[in-house]
Amino acid sequence: MRALRPTLMVCLLLSLGLGGCSVVRPWEREALARSDMAWEPDPLEASLDSHIRFSKEASLSGGTAGGGGCGCN
Amino acid sequence: MQRRIQKLRLALVALALWLASASLASTAPAIELGQPAPAFSAPAVDGSQISLTDYRGKVVFLDFWASWCGPCAQSLPALDGLRGEFPDSEFQVLAVNVDRKREAARTFLRRRPVGYPSALDPSGEIPVRFGVQTMPTSFLIDRDGVVRHVHRGFRPSDVPELRRKIQALLAAGR
Repeated sequence: MRALRPTLMVCLLLSLGLGGCSVVRPWEREALARSDMAWEPDPLEASLDSHIRFSKEASLSGGTAGGGGCGCN
Repeated sequence: MQRRIQKLRLALVALALWLASASLASTAPAIELGQPAPAFSAPAVDGSQISLTDYRGKVVFLDFWASWCGPCAQSLPALDGLRGEFPDSEFQVLAVNVDRKREAARTFLRRRPVGYPSALDPSGEIPVRFGVQTMPTSFLIDRDGVVRHVHRGFRPSDVPELRRKIQALLAAGR
């Protein structure tokens, strides 16, 4: 029984974690559809911000493409 | 002894994983074309009762919508336009609102009034029966109550295709 203890602990933790799982159906996404729940509430402002950032930060590449630091963007 | 413990350990982990997957994989299957539309009866926004079977004999366009759903703000006026293109005696647009708060649906309809009835289903039982997978989803149901087309999502450019499908069903039932 003692040898099973770690396994039991893992299973207990797994099943405790299950309490946080639930299926959110498409018609239950009211809160998720709110604009303040989006990753980027304002896409235009976010793209401007990221452009300013990657054109100033020499060590950073651009938002998507590789490279950077050449001052050519 | 060692081997038995090993087996028990495996069994325990398998059980935990099975429980985890069972709790996640509980979505309803989508309804398939050619199947009869599940019957439902629900109160409408205006207080009357809406029953799908009352519309047997007409081609029915059944639309699931919610006040928070972005494309629905476009689809409701577009469907109201489609409704006006066909005779009331042959074609009916029906809607099921799935807002948890009934008042949200009423406020939305006050701002964007439409000429077709909306049933209220705050508990979300009707979309489960239809296996709705995205918002909005619409079902085109023929005169015999059979689902002939499922339309997921909505863009204004979808309207010509929907019009063709409705025309085809109206012509087929004559």
